[in-house]
Amino acid sequence: MGTIGQHLLNGMMQGTIYGLVAMGFTIFFGVMNVIKFSHGDVLTVGAFAALVAVWATSALGMPVYVQFIAAFIAAMILTAVVGAGISHFLIMPLRNAPPLNMLLMTMMVGTLLREAIRLFFPNGTNPQRFPELLPAGGFSLGRSFFRFDALILIVAGVASIGVVYWIINRTKFGLAMRAVAEDVETARTMGINFARVIPLTFALGSLTAGFAGTIYGLYYSEINYGMGLLLAVIGFTAAIVGGLGNIWGAIIGGYLFAGLQTLVVAAMPSMSDYKNVFAFVLIIVLITWRPTGLLAERGSERV
Amino acid sequence: MTGRLIVQDIYTAYDRADVLSGLSIEVVPGTITCILGSNGAGKSTLIRSILRLTPPRAGSIAFDGITLDTMQTHDIIGLGIACIPEGRRIFAKMTVEENLRVGAYLVSSERAIQMRLAKVYETFPRLKERAKQLAGTMSGGEQAMVSIGRGLMTEPKLLVIDEPSLGLSPLFVQENFNVIRRINETGVTVLLVEQNVNQTLAISHYGYVLSQGRIVVHGTPAVLSADAEVQRAYFGGAH
Ligand SMILES: Nc1ncnc2c1ncn2[C@@H]1O[C@H](COP(=O)(O)OP(=O)(O)OP(=O)(O)O)[C@@H](O)[C@H]1O
Ligand SMILES: [Mg+2]
Repeated sequence: MGTIGQHLLNGMMQGTIYGLVAMGFTIFFGVMNVIKFSHGDVLTVGAFAALVAVWATSALGMPVYVQFIAAFIAAMILTAVVGAGISHFLIMPLRNAPPLNMLLMTMMVGTLLREAIRLFFPNGTNPQRFPELLPAGGFSLGRSFFRFDALILIVAGVASIGVVYWIINRTKFGLAMRAVAEDVETARTMGINFARVIPLTFALGSLTAGFAGTIYGLYYSEINYGMGLLLAVIGFTAAIVGGLGNIWGAIIGGYLFAGLQTLVVAAMPSMSDYKNVFAFVLIIVLITWRPTGLLAERGSERV
Repeated sequence: MTGRLIVQDIYTAYDRADVLSGLSIEVVPGTITCILGSNGAGKSTLIRSILRLTPPRAGSIAFDGITLDTMQTHDIIGLGIACIPEGRRIFAKMTVEENLRVGAYLVSSERAIQMRLAKVYETFPRLKERAKQLAGTMSGGEQAMVSIGRGLMTEPKLLVIDEPSLGLSPLFVQENFNVIRRINETGVTVLLVEQNVNQTLAISHYGYVLSQGRIVVHGTPAVLSADAEVQRAYFGGAH
């Protein structure tokens, strides 16, 4: 049972996470035409890095806000490094290979990351409790109750989406990224070092996943080695629905998917275990109706 | 004055067969040097070899005394070479201004970029009107202006141009040649590939005629326009 306000908040939170994940998929596809299926597991790596950072900083007796910031920083740094590494050692060397081989390779890397966490993280097979770092409580507005932590995380998530969007569309690095995405050869003749731009692009796309993983841990207070799988499928779906390669589309797709899930939960509380099934069915219908996604690839939005 | 390009005995192939075989040219600083030749002669391949988009398999190329033979394309551009590529190759999903800004990628000062933008807009007022339009929605001729403008966004020592006036109306082709001449007069060395032989020779200081991957004739415009080879290739027979 829940009120409209709570559903709204919950949907916004999930939509933000999905949108962040979908943005990564769309960035990778836009720049290298690859579907990087390890993306969800990179998110998991980020969430675990955040957890370790919280453990470490709290063991050192640091204040909670430092733990909070350390969680995000650790997650983003590690996922950026992993993403850049995957691009440098796998995607760049294989960039002329058939796309399906690339997809397969990234799926294997994803499995590798996932299994590494399961086997080598202390007690990695079991879900890990993620410490609650944000103020408990909230406030009531009418019949709805708004959790502070949810509001803070939504603001942080939306802000990070904004920052990524700004980087892509308003900075010199973003310009180089888009130039490489459209025409590598011409980008090179303009003096752009594509061998550097591409790993950096993957670092950017991956650290959004690290950010999302940290938000996930803070919001749901629990993470596990397999959490990235479903998030990858949903994020990828959101990216496809929005029109793969289109940043706005990915964001909209993320919120749309969360909206569908929330609708199912709100309308049929007894069926909430099936929210993903319903959401995917609706997405299948949607894709049948608009095979190229909601937003046709359009202008400077594409990376 | 700088911008000396020396291409020495290069061999370039795409798959197996050499497209360029034993080709040598020299671009003298301060000049407009043109490359003439029929379709498929290897003119664009020569440019791709210089920029190492398709690195030669033998021979050597040097720019202002620096060998390019082990360099990457973006570093070669960093030496002060700018390129207006064959077929325009504009970034269709970027605005006109963003296209020009990519051209100025190696220019770090925003002030310098603003000044060059203003200069390009002065040369092509149409681009200023359409600065925020997506380049892919511009007309063919306008796209040619974007491509040329983009190549002018750095102040290069050497400007390499591959058939910039393809698809432009005659009036604009003439304007285009005037632009190239004016750029050269500011001290920029130009390597020009063009199909409009008369207009090209009129602004060039020196020229090479390429046929099947080899230089068959070279000389001043006067020498070239009198040459039987050039006559045959471009004017349908000797007179
Ligand atoms: N990417 C490529 N792969 C294989 N062969 C190529 C490639 N590009 C060009 N060639 C071949 O190399 C030869 C020279 O081509 P090039 O583009 O240099 O000619 P060009 O002198 O620029 O001609 P045009 O005046 O038509 O532009 C042609 O026979 C062409 O088929
Ligand atoms: Mg050509």
